[in-house]
Amino acid sequence: MAFTLKLPAALRKAGWKVKIRDKERREPPHVTILRRTDAWRVNLRTGNFMDASPDPSAVPDEVVNHMRSHWERLCRKWDEMYPDNPMKNDD
Amino acid sequence: MAMVTQDATFDLDVFLLDRAKKRPASFAALRPHVVSTLGDVRDSVAHASRDSLWISYANDLTDALMRSLSAGSSALGLGLFVHPLDTKSIPALSAAFRRIAFTADGGFIPADELAEVLRAENRADLFVGGIVNQGTETITFWRGDLQSLTVPFSAFEESGDGTVPDFTSFAVVDFGQTVRLGEYEAAVDAILYEFDRAYRRKIKKERHGTEQSFGASVRRLRKQRGLRREDFEPELSAKTIARIEQGKVKRIHPSTLDVLCDRLSVAADEIRSY
Repeated sequence: MAFTLKLPAALRKAGWKVKIRDKERREPPHVTILRRTDAWRVNLRTGNFMDASPDPSAVPDEVVNHMRSHWERLCRKWDEMYPDNPMKNDD
Repeated sequence: MAMVTQDATFDLDVFLLDRAKKRPASFAALRPHVVSTLGDVRDSVAHASRDSLWISYANDLTDALMRSLSAGSSALGLGLFVHPLDTKSIPALSAAFRRIAFTADGGFIPADELAEVLRAENRADLFVGGIVNQGTETITFWRGDLQSLTVPFSAFEESGDGTVPDFTSFAVVDFGQTVRLGEYEAAVDAILYEFDRAYRRKIKKERHGTEQSFGASVRRLRKQRGLRREDFEPELSAKTIARIEQGKVKRIHPSTLDVLCDRLSVAADEIRSY
């Protein structure tokens, strides 16, 4: 089942979402921040934004901090959903 | 706060065929001509160009549009028919419009999201709706530029946690960025990456350095298919796959390439596009 990280009400109201969906581009493990027609992928192994566009600085610190405070949970969810491409995998 | 990526140069002349009182407000940013009477339809067709976008929520107004077209108007631009469309209308509409999108059972995103996707700069990479065909086990998606993309049910593999897609419960959500099939969700970018070579080329262009090598493409494709290196045995050992992915094999033997293509379900000239 797709995982949606519950964000504080103000961020939800502003349209922010943080998700791991059942079908994602698998490499590397990542979480997706969504707002309206834009999306930002964040690498779960490194914590870095994966794409230069849209501009990562457009994501408010509150979203990034909330996501980082639930990092272990997000990593666990990824492993549950993508056991064939787990977080700890160097092949 | 993030800026929504929108096309400042959106210059299609928009005609909204609709009688709902509140819905036109959702499309305000597109500055539509709201067409709500049969007479308005005739006038609009007479003045429309190939750079027009027609969005219809009303069956009878679409019928009036077709009657006006058969009276000998010039070709129109894009047509998006949100109401259920009689399949007998499709040939005539296809002939009159450069591109059309339609549904059988309300498979489009809500009006406010639709308006935003249609004017987004990245609209071609977002879905506005789709049609599920249980008979052929395919879903045809409509992109924001009204191009279509047909994908087999088999593209939606069971999630690692056991969630399976429910093809009787279809919706496009998240402003065209997610396909929902019951409790199962698929990222639109993952679907495009798998089924649209031009999209893969665009993504690949944005990558840097060694990630663009043949080996990196093999690795990404193997991950996308959910395969382990051991899954290429006995023809190719896990060690050989690792060497290919790490760029240590300078020349791939044709028989090796055959095995890669077979296990990765891809044509040889497609591998580098991943």
